[in-house]
Amino acid sequence: MKLGIDEYAGLDSPLHRWDARYKLVGLLILVFAFSFVRDLRVLLAIALITAAIYIISGLPARFILRWLRFPSLIILVIVLTLPFLSGETVIASIGPLAVRQEGLLAALLIAVRFACIVTVGITLFATTSLLNSIKAMRALGLPLIMADMALLAFRYLNELGQDLSRMLTSMKLRGFRQRTLSPGGLKTFAWLSGSLLVRSYERSEWVYKAMILRGYGQSSSRPQGEFQAHPVDGFILGAVVIIAAALVTADILLGHNIAAILQ
Amino acid sequence: MHIPDGILPVGVTAAGYVATAAVTWYSLRKIKQKEDPRQDIPKASLMTAAFFVVTLIHIPVPPTSVHLVLNGLMGVLLGYYAFPAILIGLFFQAVMFGHGGLTTLGVNAVIMGVPAIVAAYVFRLSKIGNKESPRKDGVFGFLAGFVAIGLSVAMFVVILLTSLPADLNAAVEQAAIFALAIAHLPLMAIEGVITAFLVVFLRRVRPAMLGGV
Repeated sequence: MKLGIDEYAGLDSPLHRWDARYKLVGLLILVFAFSFVRDLRVLLAIALITAAIYIISGLPARFILRWLRFPSLIILVIVLTLPFLSGETVIASIGPLAVRQEGLLAALLIAVRFACIVTVGITLFATTSLLNSIKAMRALGLPLIMADMALLAFRYLNELGQDLSRMLTSMKLRGFRQRTLSPGGLKTFAWLSGSLLVRSYERSEWVYKAMILRGYGQSSSRPQGEFQAHPVDGFILGAVVIIAAALVTADILLGHNIAAILQ
Repeated sequence: MHIPDGILPVGVTAAGYVATAAVTWYSLRKIKQKEDPRQDIPKASLMTAAFFVVTLIHIPVPPTSVHLVLNGLMGVLLGYYAFPAILIGLFFQAVMFGHGGLTTLGVNAVIMGVPAIVAAYVFRLSKIGNKESPRKDGVFGFLAGFVAIGLSVAMFVVILLTSLPADLNAAVEQAAIFALAIAHLPLMAIEGVITAFLVVFLRRVRPAMLGGV
């Protein structure tokens, strides 16, 4: 199992240096502003802003392609079918299918918003280690139980993933081949999942004892001391919030009237 | 069955976050009422990781394959920890694999997490009467798995189709809902059967796990 979201967290760029708490707040506000956009001109603006953020982050281009190369099936289905299913203004015909302007614009809107939100979201979590991102969430008010659960689950994801691949290998070595759906096959998959669940349950009992021995539960303070914000961090946050507000305002003022622009 | 970024209007994604915050708050309140709430955190966390890993298993359904969701079983095994666990799992899926999304995290948590809580109550019905039997476990396990994924599919389809930034006529919308529901029927049956097998397996191997975290 490959968990490579933060493999470039060690690079040095303005985004990497930005305080993780401010970055979390700023970029989340920005992606929500992106999801507000419905106007074609503002859509172009968010594509440019996204490109700028990605270039500033210094992440390699092939890195983001990992997330964008295979967009989810839902996005593909919607983007490929909406131009034929939605709207009334026919602008072209492909055989018996009519391409409709409203559907085409809606598909464009979804595709661009998807790419921009995913890129900024991935940039947010790729420029800080996931551990620090969770600590930043805790510092921002994430409940202690949630933060502890997230950190512990993250800690064991890789190990349990390796357990699973070992179990799958040993199943294959013992002759298990599942190519069709059968009750026996489902039972085997259920027992495989069950074994993994029982193993992790048993391991958790040892983990808890080890944690208690190391003083777990003695302190519940928020990890404020781990983050040191500089004035420049606040300045960048302010700039990002202004950009987000400008996008929303522009979109409202332009009245979402995307059809009128093309006519 | 996660809604990706970019499709839903901001009102729906914000409502998803508000609903998720409310359910998480309620779950955490219930957890904190326990005598020592911290004792169960490692258990719930490792199970969260295990469920995350289990969802990577692909089950062949020719000509394609499906992956398990098991939100019903999460409800049965984790109780009030199920919703926070699903929220954390979805967050990791979004940032590690790009399944689901950041703006849609709240909506997706409601789609997957609320049915898990319903499944926990469905399975609790099996405790009515004092006779325990593998068949009873199996039947209620199937119901928990089937109902949970069925509710998830229903919420997913309705939220997706009513929130598209395009007008579909009623006939197209009904056809899409029908097609999506039919397409998910095999998954619902598989989830139900696997949950039933798993509940019977756990009753034999580690009955304490069925008592909830």
